[in-house]
Amino acid sequence: MKVGILSFAHGHAHSYAKSVLALSTRGVQLVAIADDDVARGKAAANQYSCGFYRDYQELLKTDVEAVIVCSENARHAEMVVAAAEAGKHVLCEKPIATTQKDALRMIRACKENGVILQIAFPVRFSRPIARLKEMVDERKLGRIVAVRGTNRGQNPGGWFIDNALSGGGAVMDHTVHVIDVMRWILKSEVREVYAEVDTHFTSIPTDDCGQLVLEFENGVFASHDPSWSRPASYPTWGDVTLEVVGTSGVTNVNAFAQHFDYFGQGPRPYSHQFWGDDMDYLLIRNFVDVVEGKSAPLITGVDGLRALEVALAAYESGRTHKPVPVHRAVLE
Amino acid sequence: MWRIGLVGTGTMGSVHAHAYSHMEDAKVVGIVDIDEVAGTELANRYGAVAYSSLEALLAAQEVDVIDVCVPTPWHREYVEKAATAKKHVICEKPLARTLEDAQAMMDACERNGVRLFVGHVVRFFPEYQMAHDAVAAGNLGQIGVVRTMRGGQYPTAWQDWYASPAMSGTLLVDMVIHDFDFLRWCFGDVSRVYAKSMLGRDINRLDHAFVSLRFNSGVIGHVEGTWAYPSGFHTELEIAGQGGLIAHKSDDAVPVHLELRAEQGQGQGVMVPDSPMLKNPYQLELEHFIECLTDGKEARVTPLDAYRALEIGLAALESVQTGQVVELGGVKE
Ligand SMILES: NC(=O)c1ccc[n+]([C@@H]2O[C@H](COP(=O)([O-])OP(=O)(O)OC[C@H]3O[C@@H](n4cnc5c(N)ncnc54)[C@H](O)[C@@H]3O)[C@@H](O)[C@H]2O)c1
Repeated sequence: MKVGILSFAHGHAHSYAKSVLALSTRGVQLVAIADDDVARGKAAANQYSCGFYRDYQELLKTDVEAVIVCSENARHAEMVVAAAEAGKHVLCEKPIATTQKDALRMIRACKENGVILQIAFPVRFSRPIARLKEMVDERKLGRIVAVRGTNRGQNPGGWFIDNALSGGGAVMDHTVHVIDVMRWILKSEVREVYAEVDTHFTSIPTDDCGQLVLEFENGVFASHDPSWSRPASYPTWGDVTLEVVGTSGVTNVNAFAQHFDYFGQGPRPYSHQFWGDDMDYLLIRNFVDVVEGKSAPLITGVDGLRALEVALAAYESGRTHKPVPVHRAVLE
Repeated sequence: MWRIGLVGTGTMGSVHAHAYSHMEDAKVVGIVDIDEVAGTELANRYGAVAYSSLEALLAAQEVDVIDVCVPTPWHREYVEKAATAKKHVICEKPLARTLEDAQAMMDACERNGVRLFVGHVVRFFPEYQMAHDAVAAGNLGQIGVVRTMRGGQYPTAWQDWYASPAMSGTLLVDMVIHDFDFLRWCFGDVSRVYAKSMLGRDINRLDHAFVSLRFNSGVIGHVEGTWAYPSGFHTELEIAGQGGLIAHKSDDAVPVHLELRAEQGQGQGVMVPDSPMLKNPYQLELEHFIECLTDGKEARVTPLDAYRALEIGLAALESVQTGQVVELGGVKE
């Protein structure tokens, strides 16, 4: 199976590229990278020994079967629609898009062209999170009543803090992963969102912190912290944690607890060294399985859309200071 | 020597009696509880005399301070009686179940020229005090997001009064009021409250809550409270600022872990976390109140602080019940 990567704007492209290479024994090949940032794209093509195109349309003319889209959030739609029209299966970095309209356009194009659209929500492939899902499915916790999530991190800078390209700051960047996991585990959609959104940690033109309180259609309530609130000295990039409260018990899950403490020297003398399973690799492996018809799609474009709709509702609530119903698009 | 009359001998009454027994300049001389067996037992343990009513205690003993440790709805009655008898008052948190009661209690103490101290003990927990001092010193720079968590298993108490929202106000008014008070101490008044809890969701003897706070200073807060854990008691505190991050988890700060093998036929073994200190926070708190009486200085936590914390707790409860945001913008001094 031949794979291309459209843009290295999002740093996750490196992790995905490495994962594709790690699947070479299965006959998976990273054929080419397209990037309109020529220096960035060429460097990556060198690093991963593959072809380079400045124009992603040229890459789409090749015989790759699938592409991974890692452009700026606002450019996902353009690239995904083009890939679909070229008959390529798509794995698209989260969030799916910056507007509901774009997300719907992407879902429709992939459907019409009969290609797979999967959104990169690797947290579903974290083994601790998958164990949580099993526990809930087996009703070990009884009936779920409340869920508390965090996905804190650091301001990534660059296009992430340019609303025109990112669609929003911390709340856009760090809401969708955990909302996706909550939806997946609860098998229910978010009905209503309340959010405080602000810029406190830096003087950037977009939000860098927030706090969401949510209610699901099935009556479960939840809260989530997507803030870029980790200082530079923090021992790792951030966190993904979930506390799930059920009538039979409570569980606390930390997706990155499988680390040892490393005390070294330099600017980050203390750091966490993660030794758990690589969720990005498992995400890419699953995408390959799906494209090869070995697995049913686990994460769809609609999952991406639903998570985006929650982030958009959070921004609306942050402006109006009121709980906001999630405006869910009706799918054709 | 400050002579104390203690009312209520449940969990808190026992903790206070124990703390006084380690203090040099205060002594419990009389104890009141409607449960005479409980009252007598505690009185015997600490060398005090048990009475069946506050009136009986006041008639029989010379006391300087009445310490009120009865369930919250009875705080007002005892505080007003104590104030009328010109006794200084120490009252457990929350000050009252309603703002009206709280105001009446503050007025009664003021009118009778007696001091009123409210047991917001978290200000006396060394880890919280240190966090407060770091914020006050500006060590963390401008603060962005603060998070707290508090709770454990469902409390058992006299006539299961915690299970009655009318009496306890749920964990929002009863328990995370500790965090509301602490956060106000650090970050000032709250302008906006939004909350969700299990109240009204038809699940018995379990409670869990998330409270979103916005402070006048712009700080965003998240307070989590739980009475849904099968066991234990846990607290967490995180303050994230431009200049740094403070993170505390009580589970990570337990210096002594003890695990006992189950005795034959006795089922499971027990785990006992232990955090030994020379003085526990309750003793530090009561010593501070006594010191304030001796020196006449203002307490670390004033009656108005307790009133404001209650306001936040009641706002959270109202938000849960109405599903709406509660604005506290009109905070008046
Ligand atoms: N500061 C803290 O950490 C903390 C912790 C727990 C409770 N509290 C507060 O302390 C107060 C007492 O709580 P508790 O857990 O000790 O309650 P509890 O139920 O354990 O004890 C209450 C005691 O008061 C007695 N009592 C009940 N009604 C009475 C009345 N009308 N007159 C005289 N005695 C009466 C009962 O017999 C019982 O002994 C509450 O306001 C509670 O919110 C504070």
